[in-house]
Amino acid sequence: MWDNPSLRCLLAIAFLHLLSLIYSQETGKSTPGNWKCITHDLNRMICSWDATSSANRGLTYKICQFRAAAIKTPVSAVAGNDFECMLFFLVSFQALIPLTPQILNLSADFSTYTLYLTWNDSGSVFQHELDASCTILSRSGFNVFPINYDSKLTGKDSILFWNWTSDIPLECTSYYVKIRCYINELYFTGRKEWSEWSPVRTVPEKDTKPNSVMVFPQDKVVLVGSNVTFCCLYNEGKSVKFMKYGSESYPLLRLSKWSSAIKVQNVSASVPSGTNVWCSLVPDDVEGTVLFVGYAPDTPQNLNCETRTFITITCSWNPGRPTALYSKRRTKYILFERISRENVTCKVEELNKKHACDFPVHANQKIYNFTLSASNPLGQAESSLLIDVNQRVHLETPDKFTVSTNSSTHAHLSWYIPGNFIKIRLLCQIEISNSNSERQLQNVSMAGAENSNYRAWVDALHPYGTYTFRVRCSASEYFWKWSKWSEGKKLTTLEAPPARGPDIWRQRSPVGETVTVFWKPLLLSEANGIILSHEVVCYLRERMLKAHEVPVPLNSTEIKLGGNDCLISVIAKNRAGSSPPSRITSVDLPSDNVKTELAIATGNGIYISWHSDPNVTCGYTLKWCISSGSEPCNVDWEMFPSNAIDAVIKSALFQPGVRYNFSLYGCKHNGYQLLQNITGYMKELPPKVAPNFTVEETSSDSILVKWEDIPVEDCQGFLKGYILYFAKGEKGSSKTSFMEEGSPELTVKNITDLTKKSLRILGLQGKTSYRLDLRAYTVGGIGPSKDLYVVTKENSVGLIIAILIPVAVAVVLGVVTSILCYQKREWIKETFYPDIPNPENSKALQFQKNICEGNTALKTLEMNPCTPNSVEVVETRSTVLKIEDTEIISPVADSELPEDGSETGTGSHVVVSYCPPIIEEEISSPPIDEPVGSSQVIYIDIQSMYQPQVNPEEEPEINFVTTAGYKPQMQLPINAMKMESHSPTEEDLDKIAGYRPQANTNVWKLNSPDSPVSIQSNNENGSFGSPCSINSRQFLIPPKDYEDSPTPNNTGWSFTHFFQNKPND
Amino acid sequence: MKILNEKRVVPLLLMIHCRLVVGRALTVNPSSSMCENTHVCKPNVAEQTRKLVVLLNATAQDLFSIYLDCQGDPFSSHLDELCNANGTNFPDFHVNRTSHKDIMVALYKVFAFLNASLGNITRDQEELNPMAKELLERLHNTTKTTRGLISNLTCLLCTDYKVSQVNVTYGKSSKGMNVFKKKQQGCQVLRRYVQVVSQAAQVLLPHLSQA
Repeated sequence: MWDNPSLRCLLAIAFLHLLSLIYSQETGKSTPGNWKCITHDLNRMICSWDATSSANRGLTYKICQFRAAAIKTPVSAVAGNDFECMLFFLVSFQALIPLTPQILNLSADFSTYTLYLTWNDSGSVFQHELDASCTILSRSGFNVFPINYDSKLTGKDSILFWNWTSDIPLECTSYYVKIRCYINELYFTGRKEWSEWSPVRTVPEKDTKPNSVMVFPQDKVVLVGSNVTFCCLYNEGKSVKFMKYGSESYPLLRLSKWSSAIKVQNVSASVPSGTNVWCSLVPDDVEGTVLFVGYAPDTPQNLNCETRTFITITCSWNPGRPTALYSKRRTKYILFERISRENVTCKVEELNKKHACDFPVHANQKIYNFTLSASNPLGQAESSLLIDVNQRVHLETPDKFTVSTNSSTHAHLSWYIPGNFIKIRLLCQIEISNSNSERQLQNVSMAGAENSNYRAWVDALHPYGTYTFRVRCSASEYFWKWSKWSEGKKLTTLEAPPARGPDIWRQRSPVGETVTVFWKPLLLSEANGIILSHEVVCYLRERMLKAHEVPVPLNSTEIKLGGNDCLISVIAKNRAGSSPPSRITSVDLPSDNVKTELAIATGNGIYISWHSDPNVTCGYTLKWCISSGSEPCNVDWEMFPSNAIDAVIKSALFQPGVRYNFSLYGCKHNGYQLLQNITGYMKELPPKVAPNFTVEETSSDSILVKWEDIPVEDCQGFLKGYILYFAKGEKGSSKTSFMEEGSPELTVKNITDLTKKSLRILGLQGKTSYRLDLRAYTVGGIGPSKDLYVVTKENSVGLIIAILIPVAVAVVLGVVTSILCYQKREWIKETFYPDIPNPENSKALQFQKNICEGNTALKTLEMNPCTPNSVEVVETRSTVLKIEDTEIISPVADSELPEDGSETGTGSHVVVSYCPPIIEEEISSPPIDEPVGSSQVIYIDIQSMYQPQVNPEEEPEINFVTTAGYKPQMQLPINAMKMESHSPTEEDLDKIAGYRPQANTNVWKLNSPDSPVSIQSNNENGSFGSPCSINSRQFLIPPKDYEDSPTPNNTGWSFTHFFQNKPND
Repeated sequence: MKILNEKRVVPLLLMIHCRLVVGRALTVNPSSSMCENTHVCKPNVAEQTRKLVVLLNATAQDLFSIYLDCQGDPFSSHLDELCNANGTNFPDFHVNRTSHKDIMVALYKVFAFLNASLGNITRDQEELNPMAKELLERLHNTTKTTRGLISNLTCLLCTDYKVSQVNVTYGKSSKGMNVFKKKQQGCQVLRRYVQVVSQAAQVLLPHLSQA
């Protein structure tokens, strides 16, 4: 435990303190108060105590220091005077407090919002290096900014610097700065304390009672996207109403008593005159500032340096992104050359946006290393380029360019290029353009010179040719760029004699006394000048007969042969001389059987072919003549070699749709022979006019049409045929409807036989109007149409026949019928109109037997579909004998009838083959309680029909009145039986007695019994007194008032229906 | 001591001189009278003067509008706050003058002031708006017309009205001002110019037609 030095020290201090207390109590003197020892340099201790106690007056203090063995102990002091000596044991801790730092300077850079602080670290007071730390306290307005600054004391006095950049203009508020330091000595065991604060230093402020309103920062330039704080300083008594950046208000920040600010974030590029920021005050006052927002200069792009004259090197570049800054804030460019270490300030024209700079060429310098620096208030950028000036020659445009000639094929050129090109060779390019805009380039290499004229000459020009020359140049050895072309200069070379004789042809007069010689004008390239005249000479065996000088522009002349053929020679003449002669013989060989062939139109020419003639030795000549209006035609021709067999003739004078006639001549050793005539078109067109046609003849079923040829000049092509359209049509109907494709009535006839001039149209209808339309067509298309309207005649024979045949047939039929009736009159009478009807011959009377048999199952005549073809005659319950001819019993009927319980075992029935008329209604809805199958027609006796269909149980209630109507004259037993069982009235008896006329209108009822209603409802009124067809239940003779009755609902067909319904139809 | 006195006096004299030149009417030195180089006026000088004033009046509003457009917000939107014409020393022009001579003198003062101010404005705008071709062109044209007008007025004053001296004032030089102040001063001058030249055109018509 005793080895611990700290513990031993504490014990020692405690002991000394205890002694001090004992001694002071003994002497009555008090211990000095506030005993304190500090050091500023770790070398000298400054102790202080409080001696204000009256007991200690007159004391002399002597400070003794005890040093502990192992540790630096605190200093103790012993005080005494001349008379007595008292010992105080005082114990105190040491404190290290650095000297108060002294601010040497505090300055401000208002443009960068930066404060600069310098102070002395007083490091010389320490013997060795120490770590120090200072706190700088700055205050602006209401804000305090403490900043720590660490340094190292080196044992020497050092000036320390500190700077700080504000985010608001320094003018906006005052800045107060003070500083204190702290020394961090690791081995010092005492207390280490901060020094005292230095005296406050103030930045020269502007907000302290400003004299006028001001807005800061003023005319500042900032980068796009910056955050900028603007402040408004104002006098006491004023207040800020608002502050605006441009047109936008921002919230005010109070900086001090006389200062308010706004903070604008992310500013965008300003207009050239800057963005206005203004402060409106109360009472009325306005002040503002301008902020210029832009970009730092972009790196110069496409830097290019070249020389034009070897006097200066011109560097040009693209500035890149605009900076949005102008005038004194614009980008400034400096061109620096590293080898010569020279620089040039470049003058940039803002309006022209031309960015170029000239640097002087040095005599002995080939390589140039350029650096172009761009700078503006927001930054700078640079771009570099290394060049060999000899390889960057871009000559000026050749000037003073002249062209001259004294020949028909040569020209001399001269031009001037400014600059010193002694050290290089030049390559110049001469462009020669002729009148046809054909361009030819010719290169010329020549030695360079200083501000000199350069000369060159060109040859191989055409005589009397007009040329345009221009020239451009470049360095020959190291090509960089061509100069611009010089201005063009025109030159016409001198004339030369025509290069060849003209193309000639001759044409003998029909009689042969004269021959006309034709020649074609020479091309400009062949004439070598202006042709003044042609000399035509006629030679007979090398002897010149006649010579004609024909001036231009005539291109033919007539020569009288005088009965002799000659050799014709034509020479073209210009100012420079005569052409070689062109020769042709006047001899025409006879021709036989010259055929005319057709040529083929190619659209832009005429294709002509011919058969090769072995006797043709000196070629073929194809001649034609083009007439224009009333003037005589212009003879033209074309020559072909002997082996040619075809050609496409083209001429600017050829017109589409115009027929041209060609004559093919063969050149034989003794003259020209006409071989073939050819006709053709350059391009075939549709006929110009419609063929003129008329209707020659009209009948009831045919029309004869005749037409005329179209004139050749209107054909516009080789006629291929005619198209005749005809269809029914009246005048006034539209042509389009007539010509509509697919019109069913439209008939088209194509007449390809051009020799045909008429056509008979057959198969027409009589007394009908037809429209005819005739058109001609060529390969070029169909021509216009001409139409006619024709009405065919009426067909009288047919009409007569149509009337006579039916009349004759009717007469014949009538006669035959009459004859037959006459022959069979007895049979007819017996059958249809017997004096006394035979019941056995009358089927109708067969029903009476059934009635007499007392069949209680009275049935109406059912109209069933044709499916069953049997008629069932139902037996009555009575024991009356069946009619013999209805005794054919159907097994089917036997099997069906038992289904009706009412009839089972009470009666039998007969099925007879029968096909009733179809009555759909009744089939579709048969009565459910109907005892008879739906497929059967039931014959009942006539008398039973007079009775309603009732059940057997209701039979006694049958009203006998309803049984009145047709009655056979033969009294049947059943009637007697019924009469017995009932008590009929006299009227009834009267009705059933004897023969009764069939028209008993008293019992005819309104409704027809065959209506479904009457059948199904067992209506008692359903009886009738009219005779009834065996095929229907309709009255054969309707009652008088029947016409007024509603139409029966039955839709089934019957003969009576036919008559009944007809008036209603 | 004498040297000290001189050092104090010279700036004082310079200051007084500057104040005279800048702030208030300049007394024309009789030896350098404005009539020194004046010859006989052409017969149509009065009509030409009137036409020049009419021309300036016709173009003044457009010039002012273009000027405002080129200065950016808020000059066009807060005209009364920023371009209060009272902030300039633009000479007054009273329309109720009846004397031809007084009118001519007043016109001379107005256009002399305007000529100097246009110089400042043109220089400032060439620096601020070098790309604003139309504005600069109009400023140059107005300056040229104003100079022609001053020449004509000088001639009329010297020959017809026998005035050889006119006290004129010039506006504050914009050199050293911040950009906002330059813009503001130009705006104030041109706004006042539009008003005054309109009055001048109205007043000048009957007077010059009589001359």
